[in-house]
Amino acid sequence: MTITVQPAMMHPSPNPGGEVVDPVYRQIRDLVYKVSGIYKAEEKLYLLADGCVRRMKFLGLRTPRQYWDCLTVQPQREQQLRELLNEITTGETCLFRSQPQLDALRKVILPELAAQETKQTTRRLRIWSAGCSTGEESYTLAMNLLEESERLLKGWTIEILATDLNDRSVETAKAGIYGGYALRNTTDYFKRKYFTVVDEKKLQVRPEAKKLITFSRLNLQDDNKMLFMKGMDVIFCCNVLIYFDCASKSKVIKHFFSNLNFGGYFFLGTSESLMKLNDQFHLIHFPGTIAYWKPSLSSGKL
Amino acid sequence: MNPSLTKTIRERVQRIKTMPAIPAVFLPLLKLLAREEVQVDEVVRLVSYDSAIAAQCLRVASSPLFGMAQPPKSIKGAVMSLGLRRVETILLTCCLGQAFPAKKWALDPIVFWRHSLGCAMVCRKISEKLASADREKAYTAGLMHDIGFMVNCLVFSKEFAPVMEHACQEGIPLNEVEQDTLGFTHSDTGRALAEKWGLADDIIEVISHHHAIEDSQAAQPLVALVHISDLLCRMRGMDYGYYERHRVDLIADPAWAILHKEYHDLEGVDLVQFTFELDEAVEDIHTLVSMVFGPAPVRP
Repeated sequence: MTITVQPAMMHPSPNPGGEVVDPVYRQIRDLVYKVSGIYKAEEKLYLLADGCVRRMKFLGLRTPRQYWDCLTVQPQREQQLRELLNEITTGETCLFRSQPQLDALRKVILPELAAQETKQTTRRLRIWSAGCSTGEESYTLAMNLLEESERLLKGWTIEILATDLNDRSVETAKAGIYGGYALRNTTDYFKRKYFTVVDEKKLQVRPEAKKLITFSRLNLQDDNKMLFMKGMDVIFCCNVLIYFDCASKSKVIKHFFSNLNFGGYFFLGTSESLMKLNDQFHLIHFPGTIAYWKPSLSSGKL
Repeated sequence: MNPSLTKTIRERVQRIKTMPAIPAVFLPLLKLLAREEVQVDEVVRLVSYDSAIAAQCLRVASSPLFGMAQPPKSIKGAVMSLGLRRVETILLTCCLGQAFPAKKWALDPIVFWRHSLGCAMVCRKISEKLASADREKAYTAGLMHDIGFMVNCLVFSKEFAPVMEHACQEGIPLNEVEQDTLGFTHSDTGRALAEKWGLADDIIEVISHHHAIEDSQAAQPLVALVHISDLLCRMRGMDYGYYERHRVDLIADPAWAILHKEYHDLEGVDLVQFTFELDEAVEDIHTLVSMVFGPAPVRP
């Protein structure tokens, strides 16, 4: 009997172009995970490889192996790693960027919070978008919470605090005007309900969604200011901590932990992790995403 | 569970006399697997009775999940490169896939196999991180843990269909809906079939208690391993085809502590990194499932 085997099916290539990725990039992937907690899965490995190739061109290096040396043994390796991180995480963002995070929030976390005894009396929800950049995540949250305020959160006070280090980003965020690229994941339903047309290419967020959000400038490393960000139910800090070194990262995470209410959740970007930086948070799996949880007092797990 | 239910399950499972599609080599293979010492020639001879299974086994052996770059030319060749026990588990995968008639399913069989093979793969991947764990045993346990669903589809089809529908609609874990509406779960029906088939005791333990580890008496680490893998699969795209409104704290799960007590090297496993690594293997699972069971479904 002859057995036919389709080569493409047997060895799915991580690269859409069909080329095989140099194994050194896997080593670099693991190194990047070790220093930053960012993990580029196999299907996204080519994105990391692209970033490396751009850096190699800039540095005039010919082979991935030479670049590996540059990231590991050369005296300027830390700087080089940082440059690579910038290269692979450049602020490309959009509204509705991570549906699994939104599903976890709406289908699991909000019902859980709403069932808490204290919440039933206060009926107040505070969410922080830390490192909000130009506001895409903050408005996404606002729109999703407005949807829930017609059902689960009827009569609740919803507050979203959105902060960023960069003044210009905060100003852009306040305007809430987005083009087709930022809106590529936004369904017609949300576009019609929460946006007005600015011109043929741009839409602007409606006042009712803006009303939920307070935008301000904040440096996450400013300890004094961080102390005042209390009483959060959920914190999103996606693709921000990658720019921090270990010590400051761990300090910021400690702040986040104390800023959260008991039973609150902390989300990172979809390929980020806390690694071993904090042992107070519990790692929680939701369908398609993970988050960190500050145990509730009643769970006795503090 | 009340005794009359246990009796009903036993009686109905006894009715599954011959499954129309079950490959003839399947039950002898299970017997072979339960033995400590197995000769290569015995397996090769057994498989030579069924050329379709043999051919499928060779194709599956070359999937990325089983680690051969080139498809082996013969079962013996596969045994030489992969080892006898790995080839046995591949054979089991192929046989089990053919054991149930297509039209009886209350859930999409592709979804079911994606979860079962996914769980088998996750069990093995976790075992690979634990020096003293038996990887092929872990794989087999993961593969078989939900055979109760097949029993439900075959002999409780009328009762099971609305259970499945309700679970999907409400996003509730299937075993909870089974318990609430039927008074028993796929763990109970799976156990009856496993006993009828004469599966190894530790596999029966896994099938019976993977949702209620506290009830398990023996083989606790294996039951714990399957419990954890099952949850991970359901959280990482190898679920039952619907969104479970469910959060999972694996490290606080009693199963994690049981596993940790048995395998101290679990300490060094970075669960987040492991989770991300699994996502890479999901594609391989889809490929394997479509290879063994037909085209993979398009996920929304």
